[in-house]
This record gives sequence, structure tokens and C-alpha cells, in this order.
Amino acid sequence: MIADTTEQPLLEGRNVSKYFGGLAAVNNVDFAVCPGEIVGLVGPNGSGKTTLFDCLSRLQKIDSGQILFKGQDVTRARPYQIARMGLARTFQVIRVYRKMTVLKNMLISHQWKDRSILRMLQPSHVNTERRARELLDFLQIAHLTDAQAGHLSGGQRRLLEIGMALMPDPDIMLLDEATSGVNPTLIETIKDRLRVLNAQGKTFLLIEHNINFIVDLCSRVYVLNHGEKLAEGTPQEIIENEAVIDAYFGS
Amino acid sequence: MIAKVRRLPRFFGAWVGLTLWLLLMLLLALYPYTGVSSLTLFVGSQVFVLVTLASNWNLIGGLTGYVDFGHAVFFGIGAYVMGILVTHLPLLISPEWSFWQALPISGVAAAVFALLIGLPTLRLKGPYFSIAMLGTFVVTREIVRVLRPLTGGGSGLSLPPILNRLGDYYLMLGVMGLVVAIIWWIHRSEFGQSLIAIREDEIGAEMRGINTTLHKIVAFMIAAFFTGIVGGFWAWQNTVIDPDVVFIEARTVEMVMMSMLGGLGTVWGPPLGAVIIYFLQDVVWGNLFGVHLLVLGVLLVLLALFLPEGILGALEDRSSTSIGRLLGRVTSRGRN
Amino acid sequence: MDQFLQALVSGLLLGGFYAVMALGLSVIWGVMGVINLAHGEFLMIGAYMAWGLFRFFGLDPFASLLLILPLMFLVGYLLQIILINRIVERPYLMALLVTFGVSIALANTFKILFTSDPRNVPVVYNGSMQLVGITFPIVKTIIFFVALLSMICLQIFLQRSRLGKSIRATAQNKNAARIVGVDINRVYAITAGLCIALTAAAGAMISPTQAIFPFMGPPFTLKAFTITALGGLGRIPGALLGGIILGITEILVSTYVQGIGTNLGIVTSFALLVLILVLRPQGLLGGLRPLDAEAE
Repeated sequence: MIADTTEQPLLEGRNVSKYFGGLAAVNNVDFAVCPGEIVGLVGPNGSGKTTLFDCLSRLQKIDSGQILFKGQDVTRARPYQIARMGLARTFQVIRVYRKMTVLKNMLISHQWKDRSILRMLQPSHVNTERRARELLDFLQIAHLTDAQAGHLSGGQRRLLEIGMALMPDPDIMLLDEATSGVNPTLIETIKDRLRVLNAQGKTFLLIEHNINFIVDLCSRVYVLNHGEKLAEGTPQEIIENEAVIDAYFGS
Repeated sequence: MIAKVRRLPRFFGAWVGLTLWLLLMLLLALYPYTGVSSLTLFVGSQVFVLVTLASNWNLIGGLTGYVDFGHAVFFGIGAYVMGILVTHLPLLISPEWSFWQALPISGVAAAVFALLIGLPTLRLKGPYFSIAMLGTFVVTREIVRVLRPLTGGGSGLSLPPILNRLGDYYLMLGVMGLVVAIIWWIHRSEFGQSLIAIREDEIGAEMRGINTTLHKIVAFMIAAFFTGIVGGFWAWQNTVIDPDVVFIEARTVEMVMMSMLGGLGTVWGPPLGAVIIYFLQDVVWGNLFGVHLLVLGVLLVLLALFLPEGILGALEDRSSTSIGRLLGRVTSRGRN
Repeated sequence: MDQFLQALVSGLLLGGFYAVMALGLSVIWGVMGVINLAHGEFLMIGAYMAWGLFRFFGLDPFASLLLILPLMFLVGYLLQIILINRIVERPYLMALLVTFGVSIALANTFKILFTSDPRNVPVVYNGSMQLVGITFPIVKTIIFFVALLSMICLQIFLQRSRLGKSIRATAQNKNAARIVGVDINRVYAITAGLCIALTAAAGAMISPTQAIFPFMGPPFTLKAFTITALGGLGRIPGALLGGIILGITEILVSTYVQGIGTNLGIVTSFALLVLILVLRPQGLLGGLRPLDAEAE
């Protein structure tokens, strides 16, 4: 099953490979995410999902292949550059600024939208703060606005991280296990919010272990195993795919 | 339920902080008119020097989280640039004039050095940066010792002795006022908040669109610039410079100590720490010859163990330190 | 050619000393994740002890090792229990600050006690001998072999003994070690004792060839750090390799670069360090901890 070729993909990887020592963490993976899609990325632990994310967001250099974002070659871009082009991500190990308040966390994630020197020399703009408060409200953590980020629970931090990623109004979001360590009610919240955002035109690439989450949200799914692309298709096709079941439950 | 961060009274927030600071500057500027001795003026300029150094170190060590164990190198560069310019170049009009010309150059030289040394070292994280800067410091001292024609080697340089206590007082008052005001401004600006973000999580900051390299280099250069200025001033005031009085670890230790005592990453902590250390030293251990550094070393250990957030940090977040908890208990008992 | 061979041999001999000098830093760092900035000061203390024993009791520096080793083991053990165990679990910054404070306090205590005048230990055999056209400085040759011997002993201790195994287990995963019943604090204290004793021994051994003064420490700390970056954390063969690389580089540079002089060995070492850290942040042989330990 091949992605819709009539539309130009938003984010595309061609033959992406990444080696650690002799081990291929990501091996010759091709994929494409088109605007407006929610694409899932699944696979057993250690199959290279997070490494692929790190390659896409340029935290890791890739050893061969090419990464295109909005039709531009970003294989050699710095992480902040690709972020400014409109790619945001969250992390498997949550990264928030622990000693700052939730509001400040949000504000600082926005600051590069206008990056003139004059702007940098001023405190955050009122409009930025309004947007931050709106987003916190949207994510249902408005009551935590003045709490220190380090004091939040895991699930609340996940939501905050999603909020931080949303601040600059990115075109695509890469969410790395947005539901791990989150209680079922919050998972529903996250799922619901992602749906709303998707309806507004945001594109998502998700790493997930929660199959229901994938089935409910994604239009397409890629399966990685041992760094290689094992299968791709609709969630239904993937669930029924013998090779995928083998990979998960072993032989 | 999440406990909200306890804050200092609003009092210290927004513009009030700067207003109070400028008021203090005004008072200090008027102070010499009350007819004080030249010794008092000298003490004043020494305290201003320490406050400036501590605030500068705080910019890179406290705000950005790059703990610089060799920051005295910029002080040394400033001092030597001043020394070399004043002694090697033909004097223009008068020695004072050459001082005024050399002073900004001292700062610029330190900032350029910071750029050159920062490009490789600021790529290093955590302890690696600290060690690399310690290394830079030791190595620079050795190089200064060897470059005899320029620096006078181990015997150093002598500058023309021109005594102007009042001038020194006002110059350093001005530099201190400016530096603390700049730090205050940076702290509330998006630039400063980005520096704090880098301290808290550099990878996260980079991934959220902050050009971390540029931010770090700029912060480092600002911190180096004013440290270089202070170094240049110190050379002029002290009139004799050699590697062993300019490049001493003590200078870095003092900067670290004062910032830590007051509160790393806060605007008013390092100045507070500097004043406290200066007067403690004057009163408590100043008369015991040679123990200054021993005391500082021991204090550093005690601070790291019992008051890692510093005085202001402990007041702000009482739950995280033992002394902070003690303070919290005392104040809450009063309330109940 | 002769000059080159001579430089290689001198570098090798120096490298043996460097290896044993750096091991303390490397092992403490590897086992408890603490970078001991007071490393050089313990070497300085060892050198002063050797000087004192030589000056007042006429004891040979190598013989004085028998006294210095147990004494400094005790010092290291107590220091760890009183001070360092409190900060091992804290952010690395605290450990840096504490050891930095210890380093300043120690150096200045010695300055107050012994002034900053340089001392030396003039042993009678401080000459050199010729062998196939190459000069072997006697003291440095002895140091080389003693260093080699102590490294072999340490290696056997770590690999074979029960205690050594608990030390290695703690280094790999302290929580797992704690769960299987290793008394972490005791292991830390013993490790610190061993390392500090070894470092002081290195200081005592080098005392005949080097001026002893309170502020001799920091360059050694820096060199130990370079060697660790070269050879990896807590690895004895790595330390030997790193020490020899650094030793040979230093001697070659001072032999062939005119006007740099032996005093600038520290500059070579530092250039090497920055080069490694920038080009290969994981250390030359990949033996350094990941910079961002939380990452994975």
C-alpha cells in the first residue's frame, strides 16, 4: 500500500539509515506523511521508532538517505532550524523545563516565532501569553498555570509537553508515546484533543504502543522491526498482518 | 494537589526591582559627598568589583547553567590587555587618557577571547565544560608566563601609579550599576528566559526552536566583556600585574561562591552574596593572614551541602533545602 | 632517529606514571559518577608526605609508600563517608562544587602549613643510565615498573575478588547492585579509599623528580581528565593507553616544537583534551558516560 502520490508529502524520508556501531538502528526506511494525516509508527521495543524520530527532528545525524520537509532537503539542518520550519515533537522521556512555571514553559516554547533582536530583548508578548492560556485551557490543565513544571504528574507533563509543541502553531507534530504513563481518562482527553487539532488541519506522526489509540486515530500505520520497515497500511490491515503479529509475539 | 511555587513578595517583581536598584545607585553616588575617607572609597570600589564579577559569572554559570570554573581567565585577559596597551603604546595626552582608551579594549578583547574559546567549549555539556574552562584558565596563565616580550613573563608589568580613589569609586559604581541592570533586563527578556530553558533542558530548547549555540555564545561574551572591563580596571588600580596575582583560582572561587550564596540564576542573589562575603571576610577572617581561600573552600563545600539554592533560592522554594525548610518552619509557626 | 627513539622511550616512561596518576580520577568517576576536582590535591598531599618522611626520617619515597598507602586509604574512606556520599545522588554540579571547594581548601591549608616555597626530595639515585644509546632516568624507570605492578594488582583485585566484583557491579548499575545486597556506601568508601591512596602514592613516587608546592595539583587533575577522556572511565588498560598517548605526545611536542619548553606540557594535554571532547564527546574509545544521561 503506497501513500497517496498525487499530493506532495509534508514530511518524507528516503532510504533513511542510522547505525550505532555495527548495529542498524534504522535501516533503509522509506516513508511519507501527507498534510492532514495522522500516521502511526508502531513496532516492538527497540525497533528503532524513537531513533527514527530523532533522525527526523535532526537530533541524530543520519548515516545515509535523505529527509525532506515541505519539499526542502533538511538532511543537514540543525534541530532548531527544522523546528522553525514548523516541525514540533515531544519526547519519550518528557522534556519540560522543570524549574519554570507551566506558563513560562509555554511562553518560552513560542519565543522564536518572531525572533528579531528587539523582540528577544523584551519579555514575552501579551498575545503570546493569551495563546498560552488558551492552549492550557484547551488541554484542560489551566488550573496548573502557575505550578512549577517539575511538580506535575507524568500525565500532566505529557499534556504540558503537547501544549509546548503546539505553542508555535506547527504544521506537523511528532508525538513519542504520548499515552505512556498516562491514566485512561487523560488518554481519552489526549485522543479527543488530537482529533480536534487534526480537524483544524494539523498533521501528526505518532509512536504508540496503545493499539486502540492507533486504531481510533490513524489513517495509516507503519510498522518497524529491527530498524526495518515491516509493513504499512491501514490500522485494520496491520492488525491482521501475519508478519506484524509474529514480530510482536515472537516466533 | 500541586503546591504553587512560593514566591518572593511581588515587591521584587516587575519594575520595582530596577527602580530600587537605581535608587540605591543614586544614594551610593551621593555617598562620597558626605565626606568619607579615601579608604572608604577604596572599600566601596572593591565591593563594586566583586558585585560586578559575581553578577557576570551568574549570567553564564547561574542563568545558562554552564558552570565556568575558569572565568577568571577573562579577568586576566582584561588586566593584561590594559597593562600591555598602557605600557607598550605611546601615551596619548596623559596616562589617564590611555586608560580610558584601553578600558573598552580590555572588555572587547575578553569578549573576543570568549568567542574563540566558547565555540569549542560551549559545545561541551555539564562537567566537561567546567573542566575545559578550568583548563583554559591554567593554560592561559602558562602562555602569559611564556610570552615574555609582551607580558613581561613571570615578573609582570608595571603601570603608572595614578591615585584617584574618587574616580575609581564612580567608575566601578557605574559599571556595577550597568551590569546588574543588564542582568535584570536579560532575566525578564525572552533572551534570558531562553537561557534558563537551555539550563533546564538544552535538547528540549533546541528542539523547540531556540538557537542554543548562538544564545550561549552571546551570554558568554557579555559575561566575558564586563569581566574583562573589571580586569582592566583592576590592573590600573593595582598598578602591578603578574601571572600570579592576576590569574589566581581565588578569583573564580569568589565568583562561584558569591553567586551560590545569594542564589544561582537569580538577579539579586549574586550582588547580595558578594556584599555578604566581602564583609564577612573583613570582619571574621580578614585578620588571619592567608586563610581567606581556605575559608572560601570550606564555605563552598558547606553551601553545596546545605544551601545549594542560595539565600534567595531558599526563600523562594522552601521545600527543597534543609535551611529553606527550617526557614519555612519558623515562619509558619509564627503564622499559626 | 635517536632523538625520536629517545622521545618515545621517555614518553612511555612518563605514560606509565600518568596512567597510575589518572586511575584514581577515572575509577571514582566510573564507579560513582563524581568528577573529583580535588584529585591533584591528593597527589600533592602524597608528595608532601613523601617529602616529610624523607626530610625528617630519611625514608626513601618508594619505601614510604608502605606508610602512605594505608594512611591515605583511611583519609579517602573517611572523606567519602563524611562528605562525598552525601552528594553522589545529587546533580553533578553539586559534586563539582564540593570537590572544587575541597581542592581549594586543601591547597590553601598546605600553603598555610608549609608556605608556597617549592620543596624537593633529593634521592641519591636521581641520575640516569645509558642502555643501547638511550637514556633511562632511573627514578622514572622505577616509577614505570611500580606503576605497572600496581595496575596489574588492581586489575586482578577488580576482576577476581568479591569486593572488586561488587565495585564493578556498582559501577555498572548501582540500583541493581543495591537490590542484590551490595552495601553501596561501603563500596563507594572503599573505592574512594583505594583511589585516593593510589593517587597519593603517585604523588609520593614523582616527588624525587618534581618540585613540591601547594598549588601543583590542578595541572595533574587536568591531565588525569585528559587521560580518562582518552582511555575511558574506570578502565585500567584504557588508563595505561591514555597515559602513554599523553606521555608520548607531550615529550614529542617538547622535543620537536622549538621554544615551547617542558613547562607547557599542560598546554599540549589541554589541546588534546579539547580536541577529543569536541570531536568525540563519548571519549576516544567511547568510554565516557553519555553526556545526557537522562536521554535514554
